[in-house]
Amino acid sequence: MFSYNRLLFLIDHLIWGILIVVFVFFIFQSEHFLTERNISNILAAAAVLGVLVAGQTFVLISGNFDLSTESTLGLAALVGVWLIVPAGTPTNGGGIFMNPYLSIILTLSMGALIGYAIGCLITVGNMHNFIVTLAALLIIRGLMLAFTEGAPVSGFNNPSADVFYWLGHEKAFKVPGFGNIFVAVLATGLIYFICHLILKHHKFGRELYAIGGNRDAAEALGINVNRRIRQVYMLSGILAALAGWMLAGRVVSIQPNLGETFIFTVFAGAVIGGVSLQGGRGTMLGALGGVLLLSTIDRGLNLMQVSVFWIKVIQGSIILVAMLIDAQRVRLQELSNIATSEKKL
Amino acid sequence: MKILELKNISKSFGAIHALENVDLDISQGEALGLMGDNGAGKSTLMKIVAGNFSPTNGEIFVEGKKTSFSNPLDSRNHGIEIVYQDLKLCNNLTASANVFLGREINSGFGFFSRLKHTAMNDRAAELFGELKSETRPNDLVERMSGGQRQAVALARTRLSDPKLVLLDEPTAAISIRQVAGVLTRIKQLKETGHAVILVSHRMLDVFECCDRVAVLRRGNKIADKPIAKTSPEEVTGLITGALETA
Repeated sequence: MFSYNRLLFLIDHLIWGILIVVFVFFIFQSEHFLTERNISNILAAAAVLGVLVAGQTFVLISGNFDLSTESTLGLAALVGVWLIVPAGTPTNGGGIFMNPYLSIILTLSMGALIGYAIGCLITVGNMHNFIVTLAALLIIRGLMLAFTEGAPVSGFNNPSADVFYWLGHEKAFKVPGFGNIFVAVLATGLIYFICHLILKHHKFGRELYAIGGNRDAAEALGINVNRRIRQVYMLSGILAALAGWMLAGRVVSIQPNLGETFIFTVFAGAVIGGVSLQGGRGTMLGALGGVLLLSTIDRGLNLMQVSVFWIKVIQGSIILVAMLIDAQRVRLQELSNIATSEKKL
Repeated sequence: MKILELKNISKSFGAIHALENVDLDISQGEALGLMGDNGAGKSTLMKIVAGNFSPTNGEIFVEGKKTSFSNPLDSRNHGIEIVYQDLKLCNNLTASANVFLGREINSGFGFFSRLKHTAMNDRAAELFGELKSETRPNDLVERMSGGQRQAVALARTRLSDPKLVLLDEPTAAISIRQVAGVLTRIKQLKETGHAVILVSHRMLDVFECCDRVAVLRRGNKIADKPIAKTSPEEVTGLITGALETA
């Protein structure tokens, strides 16, 4: 029997169906797809994207945007490595040779500070989140380019690097069929679990949904909306910095354009995973599905040796399809609401 | 005993004087109808009592003690509950989540606390039962009829045992059939010793369940008299300005 609710349920869980279809498609397209090495790579790539999407999910649920996270990711990776490079090495570092643990703390704090500043500009400065985060995206990227003068920074081959690169580089254990599982994958899994607990079972998460659903109501009921928004941007900044730290361990040297245009993939991941751009809707499980789907498609197309130009076209189309699905979901939701509330009258 | 006393309340927004030296009081078990045309200052007065605005001048007493409200939580903590005209519901949340919004039942403390879903759902179900509403705690508010939505907003006021319940145009957005239900609830509140302020445009509602009526016009209180000593015609005249004072 046709029902809006059933259709909505299908759309909300469509992601897992698509994931399976795409996965099977690539298995037939490339003999290298279903190899331990490839699966391990998909998961490792999903880890970095996943951390950014987790932060974005929180921001989106609260009814906001954060375009700046790709730049924060890049800056965090750059600064983190820059700080641990010993003096006199020709790697463009700061020559500070900082204790790597301290450098990690500083990197994450920097992310928090960037997020907090953005949150303050939006809530205290009363500016639109789109403009503020767009400006931050440009400013942070510009700072990276200006400080490095466009040259990459590399921190390998020094004793501090092992500690700093551990998160992104270290393999935790081997699982038959999945290959080496990176520490990063476990870390992202843990982050998703904690984020899920916060959204579902903590007052903070409940309040974010309320703010995204009806900001006015949240305010009238005594929720400190502006404070929550600052906190959510701070969380997004910390997670972006953590993703940068993670990514630093996966790339040999930090290019000043590290993470550029990544934000599109982040939004696509969240939206495909059912996180609404209108605020108030989305789950960590859905976001995880979006992340896995995009990482799978990315690796699959690479293995099929599709040209990078076409990959861009495909990525753009995926975003468009995701938006289309989101728009239809909103429309269906409204129709379904009318149908049920009419029945109850 | 006087639950709430407002003395000389004024509120201006720049050059606009929304309220000028308004006195208002309400006692236990009393229902006061607050009437006035659009722009007369009803909402501003409500928002001052609710803690959304602080007055430019004047004093607020709750049970004889001078207080000030800097935010809606303050006002709630003083035993004042408000049902807003637009109900302030989050459509994306369940009935139970809406009832407990801002006052969730938690176990543990601070970051390590956890929402007690079952306890909240059980309590919400009880409250809906008391309100004789068929609303179920886990239903999404966006799927509800006007009457059910109102029940959710009313259930919020019953979480604590408030001294004063403010209702802003509670019958404006619901079907005629449901109006009777709301008026019954107001009478119930009165009988159980609560003070009720009913802000309404509907003369019928005020005359059916209020003991007293106060009329605002252009930011001034121009009348405050027992229902028994006035008539809908007089109140209409006061609201429109056909009568200067009562």
